[in-house]
Amino acid sequence: MSAESMPEAENTSAEAMPAESAGAVDLIHRIASLTRMLRENMRELGLDQAIKNAAEAIPDARDRLRYVAQMTEKAANRVLNATDAAGPIQDGLTRTARGLDERWGAWFAQPVEMDAARQLVKDTRSFLADVPAQAQATQSHLMEIVMAQDFQDLTGQVIMRMMDVVGAIERELLQVLLDNADISSERREEVNSLLNGPQVNPEGKTDVVTSQDQVDDLLASLGF
Amino acid sequence: MVDKSLKILVVDDFPTMRRIVRNLLKELGFENVDEAEDGAQGLEKLRTGGFQFVVSDWNMPNLDGLEMLKQIRLDPALKSLPVLMVTAEAKKENIVAAAQAGANGYVVKPFTSATLEEKLNKIFEKMAG
Repeated sequence: MSAESMPEAENTSAEAMPAESAGAVDLIHRIASLTRMLRENMRELGLDQAIKNAAEAIPDARDRLRYVAQMTEKAANRVLNATDAAGPIQDGLTRTARGLDERWGAWFAQPVEMDAARQLVKDTRSFLADVPAQAQATQSHLMEIVMAQDFQDLTGQVIMRMMDVVGAIERELLQVLLDNADISSERREEVNSLLNGPQVNPEGKTDVVTSQDQVDDLLASLGF
Repeated sequence: MVDKSLKILVVDDFPTMRRIVRNLLKELGFENVDEAEDGAQGLEKLRTGGFQFVVSDWNMPNLDGLEMLKQIRLDPALKSLPVLMVTAEAKKENIVAAAQAGANGYVVKPFTSATLEEKLNKIFEKMAG
């Protein structure tokens, strides 16, 4: 019942207003003031939303970056494990083949008694029978290396979404700056430090080397 | 000829990069390799002695590679130890700073095994000469 009485009261006062002596000029002033207040509130609401969005995006971005780091580390380990496993198989094949070849070479140079020759044939046949299984094992490790590259698809997607998030944060923060200060031009200041990590975008930068040759040239010019 | 039983310390904060460098060194015949995960741990291991070569990253927590290099050069027991920097830092001022601090070589990541071998051999030649 009280909820219904509120609009009634407002209606009464609104109807009463034109009858007031202050007249039309005062009414226009009041409307203008209300409009200004509304605009300010709306802008404030907009800013609140922007700041809220940015604050929410940052932990999400951290999680995504952690995901990329984990995925790439996992892939690197899978590849290294596969090569560690395949290496000894290849070494074993090489060693056995070389050993048999030497024995055959020696036998052709100087044929020996039948028993030794029979053993050599037996060893060779057992090696030949064993090669497909060994090759298959190596093949499965190679396949594991191929499969480990699946991270690229996943991290690629995450990175693309991260770029959207970063873009959105940049836009919103820029809007906050534009709304609150008289900034006519954006100014980027490169942080001058020796710890910059990989150069993601080296094109057109004169203070950066893009190849080992350039490193070597620079060192040579320094007398190294 | 280089003594392949040379004891080498690989300093990098990324386990995968340590493993890659260790694999490359193994490929080149160097099996006597130990690892440290930052400059502070690297210095600690170096001071226990026995190392003849250091391959180090630059950007690491606790103590970075450049600071470690400077401290190696200040330590009477370690000052002539060869140090090869292997790092993603690719600004010219980085290379100049490393050279001034006494680095024996500088390899930018990503690198190939041929590059690493070439730089190692160059340092060994100078050590012998």
